[in-house]
Amino acid sequence: MELFDNLFLGLSTALQFNNLIYCLIGVVIGTAIGVLPGIGPIPTVALLLPFTFGLAPASSLIMLAGIFYGAQYGGSTTAILVNVPGETSSVVTCLDGHEMAKRGRAGPALAIAAISSFFAGTVATVVIAVLSLPLAALALKFTAVEYFSLLVLGLFAAVILAHGSVAKSLAMVFLGLLIGTVGIDVNSGVARMTFGIPALSDGLDFVPVAMGMFGLAEIIANLERPEVRQVVSQKLRDLVPSRADLKAAFPAMVRGTFIGSALGVLPGGGAALPPFTAYALEKKVAKDPSRFGKGAIEGVAGPEAANNAGAQTSFIPLLTLGIPANALMALMIGALMMQGIQPGPQVMTEQPELVWGVIASMWTGNLMLLIINLPLVGLWVSMLKIPYRLLFPAIVLFCCIGTYGISNSAFNVWLMLGCAVVGYFFIKVGVEPAPLLLGLVLGPQLEENFRRAMQLSDGDPSVFVTRPISAVLLGIVALMLIAMLSPAVLKTRKEALAE
Amino acid sequence: MTTRRFDWPDLLFGLFLIAVAAGTFAATWRLAGGSAADMGPGYMPRAIALALLAFGLFFAGRGLLRGHAGIPRVQLRPILGVGASVGAFALLIEGAGLAAASLAAILIAACASRESRFLEVILFGLVITAGAVLLFVKALALPVAIWPW
Repeated sequence: MELFDNLFLGLSTALQFNNLIYCLIGVVIGTAIGVLPGIGPIPTVALLLPFTFGLAPASSLIMLAGIFYGAQYGGSTTAILVNVPGETSSVVTCLDGHEMAKRGRAGPALAIAAISSFFAGTVATVVIAVLSLPLAALALKFTAVEYFSLLVLGLFAAVILAHGSVAKSLAMVFLGLLIGTVGIDVNSGVARMTFGIPALSDGLDFVPVAMGMFGLAEIIANLERPEVRQVVSQKLRDLVPSRADLKAAFPAMVRGTFIGSALGVLPGGGAALPPFTAYALEKKVAKDPSRFGKGAIEGVAGPEAANNAGAQTSFIPLLTLGIPANALMALMIGALMMQGIQPGPQVMTEQPELVWGVIASMWTGNLMLLIINLPLVGLWVSMLKIPYRLLFPAIVLFCCIGTYGISNSAFNVWLMLGCAVVGYFFIKVGVEPAPLLLGLVLGPQLEENFRRAMQLSDGDPSVFVTRPISAVLLGIVALMLIAMLSPAVLKTRKEALAE
Repeated sequence: MTTRRFDWPDLLFGLFLIAVAAGTFAATWRLAGGSAADMGPGYMPRAIALALLAFGLFFAGRGLLRGHAGIPRVQLRPILGVGASVGAFALLIEGAGLAAASLAAILIAACASRESRFLEVILFGLVITAGAVLLFVKALALPVAIWPW
């Protein structure tokens, strides 16, 4: 079986000693930032990117991936104990998880959250392995025309399935695309919009943009709100859940895993959408829905399984097609490009040990997370006691050093400052910055493929609808846009994405 | 938030987009546009700027017509504190070295929060600076001077 050969190849990469260490570093950092509210995986991955230069491509991706799914574990700890989501994806866990903690059942809640996450992570790893091969095989048939349509589909779907107003998010995608065109034009060698600044001739680096808009702007906005943080203080004994707990949680875990795996693959899916859907489903299938919100264990197991499965399967479009499902995956693309690897379907055949190594590392990483999170939970709880007034200056400093470190240029630090101000403006006018990052990272690819497609067709745009695969992809985009205009769909979307 | 005459978030976002589009046209008017089959360097930026202009006009128009809400109050202290901190780092890092730049960044950033305490910040700044130097220069081998000399 090819699948087992591939998984075996992956395991042999993932189990190398240094890769195990990088995986461990990744999941520990991930758990830490997951536990701490106010800093998410996006600025963290951006911060660490410059330092993955010297690593082998597989090691660097293994570590960065660990941060992402590690953050999903950590986020639930804060949600359960403090009633503040450590990450957006753990918002739903607050509902029943914190309620369980208030009733003296914090231990079982944490345990079920971790076990559900582990179960989901394990299944999702297999899902990725099974789905990757056929998808990559399909994508290898793509020309510039299909690739362009696929990128358009990815961008639109990411916008529609994500939070916030669709029109504003689309505008942000275009803004990102525009910023992506800054720099020397590859085809003609002419500098575009560099304003005579030499540092801009290679284009805007996305690391300062990401750190400014996601890291610093977020801090500025956080400082305007008074801090409320009350840790449920109780001895965390009885971490082992009872048989009854496990029996109640298991079906929810399975359902959550499937919802998460399915939604994670969709562009824009990732870890945010699945838990909400899983929670809604659990409430619907429960015999007594009124228990929800009052400490129902299914309300912890389902969403936790879903967000972890979603976080992992959102790697599928990235690994097979080279298309990021969300802003974090866009950073992963950046990590690949920094390593000199052009993301796309060919990566799978040219660098099998990289792709399968990353896939297999997710399973070893999940195993580590189970150990890191259950017996060591006390350590993370004590981290929650660090006050924000000390935390944020340190984050500001690390953002500065990280940005400076990309290419030892103070210009990048100034750029980050500019992006922080713009990002703060976006927060104030209520616009999500994530689509901008997607546009920025995908912009150069989109332009390149568009140009090539137009050259092939002699400037005739109808080529995008006469080629079958491309026509289907664009048809889906059109359907989604039409659906968004219908009031009924709009209402459901609002409800699904509302807290 | 009280009800205002304009929808300020929409209006401001729209104006922002219009300004960006205008800036793009100004910066690329000298670049050749070319045709769809053979695009010049100016084709894509201008095409995207056109879309941004349309979005900008749409949001600005909607903001003017739809009385809705104001913007949550802007507090100057956080943005000035964090901004000055990053600026100080950028100014100091090349001339004065990582140690001075880090300490300055921490101390200035702390001013952004009303809750910071004087002695605690100084002590914390020194510890984090030492930690940053050890982590980034010694462990991660970032090529940057630690001291000004």
